[in-house]
Amino acid sequence: MAGKEVFALRINGREREVFARSDATLLEVLRDDLALRAAKRGCNQGVCGACTVLLDGVPVRGCLTLAGACTGREVTTLEGLAEDPITRALQETMIVSGGVQCGFCTSGMLVTARDLVAQTVTPTEGDIRKALSGNLCRCTGYVRIVEAVTDAVVALSQANTDTREAIQ
Amino acid sequence: MSFVVSPTSVDEAIAFLVDNPEARPMSGGASLVAMKNARLIEASHFVSLARIDSLRGIRRNADGSVTIGGMVPHRDTAACDLLDGDLRMIRQAAGQIANRVVRNMGTIGGAVANADPAADYLPVLVCADAQVEITGPGGKRLLPIRDYLVDWYETALEPAEIVTGIALPPAGSGPSVYRKLARTPGDFATVSVACARDGDGVRVAVGACGPAPLRAPEAERALAGQLDDPAAVAAFCEALVALADPVDDVRGSAEYRLTLIPRMVAAAIRDVTGGL
Repeated sequence: MAGKEVFALRINGREREVFARSDATLLEVLRDDLALRAAKRGCNQGVCGACTVLLDGVPVRGCLTLAGACTGREVTTLEGLAEDPITRALQETMIVSGGVQCGFCTSGMLVTARDLVAQTVTPTEGDIRKALSGNLCRCTGYVRIVEAVTDAVVALSQANTDTREAIQ
Repeated sequence: MSFVVSPTSVDEAIAFLVDNPEARPMSGGASLVAMKNARLIEASHFVSLARIDSLRGIRRNADGSVTIGGMVPHRDTAACDLLDGDLRMIRQAAGQIANRVVRNMGTIGGAVANADPAADYLPVLVCADAQVEITGPGGKRLLPIRDYLVDWYETALEPAEIVTGIALPPAGSGPSVYRKLARTPGDFATVSVACARDGDGVRVAVGACGPAPLRAPEAERALAGQLDDPAAVAAFCEALVALADPVDDVRGSAEYRLTLIPRMVAAAIRDVTGGL
């Protein structure tokens, strides 16, 4: 098809060759060409946060990132975080707290919340609400999502204590 | 349909823009790609500036002035210790732009090039008497931001020129503050105020109330030495209201904005005078 180019992207630790328009958004390439569908297309304007992915380890909007500008950079989607301990803890507490209803916002919430938990030792409720303010959820009213992140922080610090004690 | 190119030097980027008049420079993409997705803009190419190392970093120059590279993301500006004293308001503004994820993407060069009248950076840069470092086919030029901002979304940028940095005067000791009133955290400002203590007076710029931030240098001079006089502060606020040309939009009516200006300016002056 006219205007398509072949370019290489490094996604979730693997080199992937993509045949797409170079001005396609990263989100379009992930979902439509690579069938990585954790990131969702909500507003396509950078407002809703459902498309949040990591670029060189930093959370960005997949819908505001042009795929052609990502060559040579490391893209990580929620699929690539499946074995990440912080993500696992957040997934568990999201299920237990009922932080997932329709689920459309959940992937973006997890990627953003994981970054907060990885960067902040003990985030307060205020920190959590602020960090997630760019991720919209139309179902839960946020209370259970905030609870889930708080609980994950507690669970992770407990796990760390247990590991330290086991080593000693 | 556009192509994406990623030059690694400013010269290479400018040469490409000269050869391709329908190409557009792209910094973080936070506004530009949103406009592309909404089909508001077209371009033959998006010239990504992300791989140009010389546009990164915030540095203090030998004369004490501070230069913020055009591609510095809001996240880094919000955390920069060099921006202290009367430049501290710039950190505060950077930390209130949109949300955590967008602050990882958006850059000061992109924000200044886009020149959204409600953008958080504009009032603090006008208040700080910043200069915009512009590089184009004719070389580099520095323009005071008040001359750079021409009209609604219109700047002094010529074709094939890019914003390569923001030059700030050496930080003064006086406190400074950025106050933003928005419908919800992360939204664009309904009204914003930047205020810096300057000797026995203040410098004040008001955002989102006209094509460019409002500044009243004569009224600032008249207010010097009288920061503790409510009547003098009220007269100063009225001078700013008289300059305002706000619009009705989803964030508030023009009338509402005019009502906010004196209240927010007076509060900002109190912030930097420690309640004289």
